[in-house]
Amino acid sequence: MSSDDSVRKRAKRGPERRGAATTSMSSATTTTKTAEAPTTGPRGRTIRMAGLIAFAVIALTLPLWSTPYWIRIATGVALWAGLALSWNVICGYAGYISFGHVGFFGIGAYTTAILMQPDHGWPFFATLPVGIVIAAVFAVITGWPALRLKGAYFAIATWAIAEAVREFTTVADWTGGAGGLTLPIGPGSNYFYYVMLIAAAIAYVLCYALLERSRFGYRVKAVRDNEPAARAQGIDATKVKIQAYVLSAVIPAVLGGINAYWITFINPQSVLNTIITDQLVVMVLVGGLGHAWGPAFGAAVLFLVNEQFLSSFGSSTSYIAMVGVIVMLVVLFLPDGVVSIWGRSRRTRLVRQLLGRAADDFRSGNAAGSGGGR
Amino acid sequence: MEGLAQALVTGILIGGLYVAISVGFSLAFGVLDVVDLAVGMWVVLGAYAGVKAHDWFGVDPFIFLPVTFVVFGLFGWLLGPLIYRVRTSRYALPALMGLAFTFGVATLIRGGMLTVFGYTPRTVQTDIVSGSWSLFGIVMPAIRVVGFLFAVIAVAAFLFFLYFTRTGLAVRAVAQNKESAGLMGVDVKRISSLVYAIYTGLTAMAGMLMGAVYSMTPELGLRYTLFAFFVVVLAGLGSVLGVLVAGLFLGILQALTTTYVGADYTLMTVFVVLFVILLVLPQGVSKFAKAVRT
Repeated sequence: MSSDDSVRKRAKRGPERRGAATTSMSSATTTTKTAEAPTTGPRGRTIRMAGLIAFAVIALTLPLWSTPYWIRIATGVALWAGLALSWNVICGYAGYISFGHVGFFGIGAYTTAILMQPDHGWPFFATLPVGIVIAAVFAVITGWPALRLKGAYFAIATWAIAEAVREFTTVADWTGGAGGLTLPIGPGSNYFYYVMLIAAAIAYVLCYALLERSRFGYRVKAVRDNEPAARAQGIDATKVKIQAYVLSAVIPAVLGGINAYWITFINPQSVLNTIITDQLVVMVLVGGLGHAWGPAFGAAVLFLVNEQFLSSFGSSTSYIAMVGVIVMLVVLFLPDGVVSIWGRSRRTRLVRQLLGRAADDFRSGNAAGSGGGR
Repeated sequence: MEGLAQALVTGILIGGLYVAISVGFSLAFGVLDVVDLAVGMWVVLGAYAGVKAHDWFGVDPFIFLPVTFVVFGLFGWLLGPLIYRVRTSRYALPALMGLAFTFGVATLIRGGMLTVFGYTPRTVQTDIVSGSWSLFGIVMPAIRVVGFLFAVIAVAAFLFFLYFTRTGLAVRAVAQNKESAGLMGVDVKRISSLVYAIYTGLTAMAGMLMGAVYSMTPELGLRYTLFAFFVVVLAGLGSVLGVLVAGLFLGILQALTTTYVGADYTLMTVFVVLFVILLVLPQGVSKFAKAVRT
């Protein structure tokens, strides 16, 4: 979850500790603020706006001055930033670990691929809404029952769903089976760069507006932090959770569709591979769970590392192992993500203190709080 | 009819191995409060230990079983405290972080194995038995029968430890209530490490047996994770009897699907049944989660 939350948890040692996990209703919102603490106020606002505009200008003019290699990289970063964002919605904001997001990605990819086959011949942009609808329906059907499960149960259930989707596409005829599907060759790389960038940007704006600037966001966080209390406030928790799940499902569907058209050939190994979920998890964890911009940062870093790794070592399997090591290290040493390093120096100090303290945690009775996230 | 009996026998023989995989997993879940997503990776790693024991030293994997237990137990002994630390840390959502941590372990093992061993399927070679026995027209491959027997012995030894030793008593106490167990003078951290060590050792042994029956690739780890989870969900926590029944049920389900629907659909059937079980028994499942917590 957010760094702010854990800071507060650490501050509140003693009997209040258990409550600390549940009382911070607006943690993600406050985190965004505290993470950018030096830049708040009217002047900070200008700086931030300037930064955002500079970023937008660089992003939009990239094809004018950059090389095709970097455009391809930037497209990949946009894709993964969007995917990581969608995972952050369900995990960071709603508090449910989903290991099945690759399923939605694959659904989007296959929808676009099947509809663009010569015997259907749909135009590309018409296929994206279909992918959205299918992913949303699928998310409701699977999420309605699965979201009643907690923690690990939900994680495994979504994992099973994604595996079932993959098994199905491998077995079924009209998905091309293990051989996969070939799409028509699309326009140039600039086209895909812009489409991907715009899709990711829309996803970010949508999620930011919905989760940080609306009542819906407060509802989602309230349900995450204390579901019974949220229900007592009159929030329809099941509905809110399903809404969040659908929101986090349609984004990968759209990006999956664009990705399919971009890479022009898909099969279960490429768009329904578990490594995609692995990457999402590590990107969000590295970037910072529940931070608004953490996933984008994590995605950019990880994707660049990935590309660099592949071009210098040429082995994607040792990359998987490295991803595993990164996840372990981040969980052990930087539970709030890399974003937390520069936010405030106090935070890093607390992380260091935590490391020294963790050993005698149990004796101080901390095991009592161990059921908190279930 | 013949086919049904055959499927049942095959299913029970495989089910014994599923029990051996799941029984330690179930206990580790109860004691550490973490679903170890790496369980299937220990299975595959154990199988590869058997393959390599034969390749490198020419030792028969079945003789190698105790060594496997000790070696993987040591791995678990080293890893257990880390998981314990994540689980009892002051992170915002320790349960989520624990899950993410074991996910990292699973990813590391999978990537490492793919790098070292590649994608080629391997089978554990053994010289102890070969061929198959036939009883009332039901064919029983000898290797499966022996694997089943070894699994039964391992599970029996495990249960003996759990129910007839003082340490086993401490383990059960921790699984029931960490705080009270701690107050009674049980070193919860040490017990957690011990349970994790026993669990990894047992699972790796079961994996070696599994590798003698089915060929293994590093990619199969996920499947065994789901199978172990299936068994634990179906069984309900704290119920050893439940694990026995659920493991055998999974084996039979798999065998029946293979016989009557087709081997391609085995996994999908298991996933769908798992999903349905999670849906119809949310009460049972949550009760079981509560049992862990208190």
